[in-house]
Amino acid sequence: MKRVLMVVMLSLLVVSGLVVAQEKTEIILWHAMSGTRELQIQRMVDDFNLINPSINVTVEYKGSYRDTLTAAQAAAIAGTGPHVLHSFEVGTQQNVDMGIYAIAEDLIDRFGIVIPWDDYLAPALNYYKLDGKQASFPWNSSNSILYYNKTLLDAAGVTMPREPSFEDIVAIGQAVMSAGVAEAGITWPTHSWFFEQWMAELGADLVNNDNGRSGYATEINLDGVEAATIMNWWKELYDKGIWANPGRENWSQARQNFTTQRVAMLISSTSDVNLTENAAFAGGWEVGTAFMPVPLGFERHGVVIGGGSLWVIADHPDAELKAATELVVYLSQVSQDIDWHQSTGYFALRNTSLLALQQEGWYDLHPNYKTASDQLAESQLITATQGALAGVFPEIRTYIVDAAEEVYAGGSVSEALMKAKALIDQALVDYKELMTGS
Amino acid sequence: MESKFPSKWLPYIVLLPTIVVCGMFLYYPVAQSFSWSLLRSAFMGLRTMYVGTQNYVRLFTSPAYLESLWVTLLFAGGIVGLGLSISLAIALLANRKVRFSRIYRIALIWPYALSPAVAGTIWLFLFNPTAGIVNYVLERTIGISPDWVTSQPLAVFLVITAAVWKNLGYNIVFFLAGLQNVPGQVLEAARIDGASSWRCFWRITLPLLSPTAFFLLIMNMIYAFFGTFGLIDVLTKGGPAGATNILIYNLYRDAFQHNKWGLAATQSVILFVMVVGLTLIQFRTTGKKVHYGG
Repeated sequence: MKRVLMVVMLSLLVVSGLVVAQEKTEIILWHAMSGTRELQIQRMVDDFNLINPSINVTVEYKGSYRDTLTAAQAAAIAGTGPHVLHSFEVGTQQNVDMGIYAIAEDLIDRFGIVIPWDDYLAPALNYYKLDGKQASFPWNSSNSILYYNKTLLDAAGVTMPREPSFEDIVAIGQAVMSAGVAEAGITWPTHSWFFEQWMAELGADLVNNDNGRSGYATEINLDGVEAATIMNWWKELYDKGIWANPGRENWSQARQNFTTQRVAMLISSTSDVNLTENAAFAGGWEVGTAFMPVPLGFERHGVVIGGGSLWVIADHPDAELKAATELVVYLSQVSQDIDWHQSTGYFALRNTSLLALQQEGWYDLHPNYKTASDQLAESQLITATQGALAGVFPEIRTYIVDAAEEVYAGGSVSEALMKAKALIDQALVDYKELMTGS
Repeated sequence: MESKFPSKWLPYIVLLPTIVVCGMFLYYPVAQSFSWSLLRSAFMGLRTMYVGTQNYVRLFTSPAYLESLWVTLLFAGGIVGLGLSISLAIALLANRKVRFSRIYRIALIWPYALSPAVAGTIWLFLFNPTAGIVNYVLERTIGISPDWVTSQPLAVFLVITAAVWKNLGYNIVFFLAGLQNVPGQVLEAARIDGASSWRCFWRITLPLLSPTAFFLLIMNMIYAFFGTFGLIDVLTKGGPAGATNILIYNLYRDAFQHNKWGLAATQSVILFVMVVGLTLIQFRTTGKKVHYGG
């Protein structure tokens, strides 16, 4: 009898275990972060799974931002999409127009999740706000800052101001080169992102219709004095050999130029703080950071918050949508936020996180993290720094990079910019026509 | 000729698998491309709009596309010209009866076994402007450090050279096979008659090799048009400023980076017509002059 009871009890246990296991909601997250960040994401998701026994999140790295977005579009059309997608900021307009994603704010309201919106960094939320609604949830937010090799600059007898000008960069670049301490002065990937940041710094919208936020953009602002000023400076740096060209969109080569001390300055994402500091520590030199340079005679307006956000794909059952929304919200809760910030350099998105870090003295120990936060905090809240919305952003980027390459190959700045403008304007108008039918 | 099939239907049944596979993977996509070429589209075709021949008109009036066409022709010319002459010269040397000739032959064929991505990465390591071994040596010896990948004429030169190198093995294999089929008696008879080896090559070897050369001409042309994509993607991404943006790369950019499937389909139709045209012309004209032996 006892034995029978044991068997019954045991099988009940097994069955109940099975029932619990079957109830687990399976969630898939696709992201575009490689290397140590991939491990970091896995760690955060493991924690989430641990505290939410009814949810099991699987993480997949899908390649570059572009590849991830394309893969998700294809999968969503085939009905096999992930639940949560990590998309870059410039995919925002496309994602909304495509209609396969659920609007984050709607989901949050529907599932009664309480979000302390005021605690979030306004610029980060604003980028992903369309028609007054939060379309996606900011996650890895960054912008560009200037890194410099303090050891090399000291050797050349120059110092970097906190807010350098275009002219300072030329002077410092020439100083380190003539002192023979570096092969070139500065480097950054040949990427349109930096051009976009400079346009914001100069207070110029990248596209018309309030940077595409009051209606579909139909024209790009490449014929103004701002675009020409930026391109002329870039050309000057190239012609004088101060800027080392790492190649088209080649982030890793740019970082390598800097971390191997061939080049004294680097403009890159704030999310490279951790990586650069580690490289400097290993190489026995000191890394410093400064604000993005702006030309003399222009007001400094601040930077656009770039990076990525998390989108929930709509075509899933309610229980899964709820779990997906919980995951998205979880990833920017204070402790995750602090962890993510410290291990990468992506911004802490919550005021509470910033306060905690300040009180712990983190920013006193890590002034380079502070430069990034200060630069963002001091940015004006205007449409130029809110960032452009355009459905054809990938094309904008291709043609701006083409223009830059034409310029430093010896072409005229105004001709290259007008050529890019013609191509981009056509693409913008075509896109608007396709979306609105007129 | 009397049919050896027991039933009238059997040949069709035997052919059916091929026809089904061709239909699914060749004819259907081709037809699809034609119909897509009349659309403007976004989001992988989730949103489309009929635009008639607008895509064709725009492409043929776009300076950027016409430039891409010229770049492609330059590429094809470079790859076919350099590739065929260098590999023929090497094949002639490798065909001699010398010691270790087998080892030489294997070494020559080797590059062909590499995938385009790997080959591209090797060249990038060699010619990287700041960290490459070539510039290190150049800088140490003669004090120059050229921008191989990012300055215009050099990037074109680099990609053509890499593409030729990558395909050398393929060309050499076919040339070697062709050379070994050149009958020894004919050459010996010519020598006895007092022909120089130069004359032997031009009058005997080359004409007998012409079927191989003709085949390689077409294969190299197709390679230049389509097969160099991987190298370009790794080395230059079509840059600097479109200098290596060949038609297939332009198509890739429009389809997978700009998400314009309609426009990309139009480009694939244009490429399709070009390749069909080239092949037809070559078969008609060169076909008569090619010496097929016997």
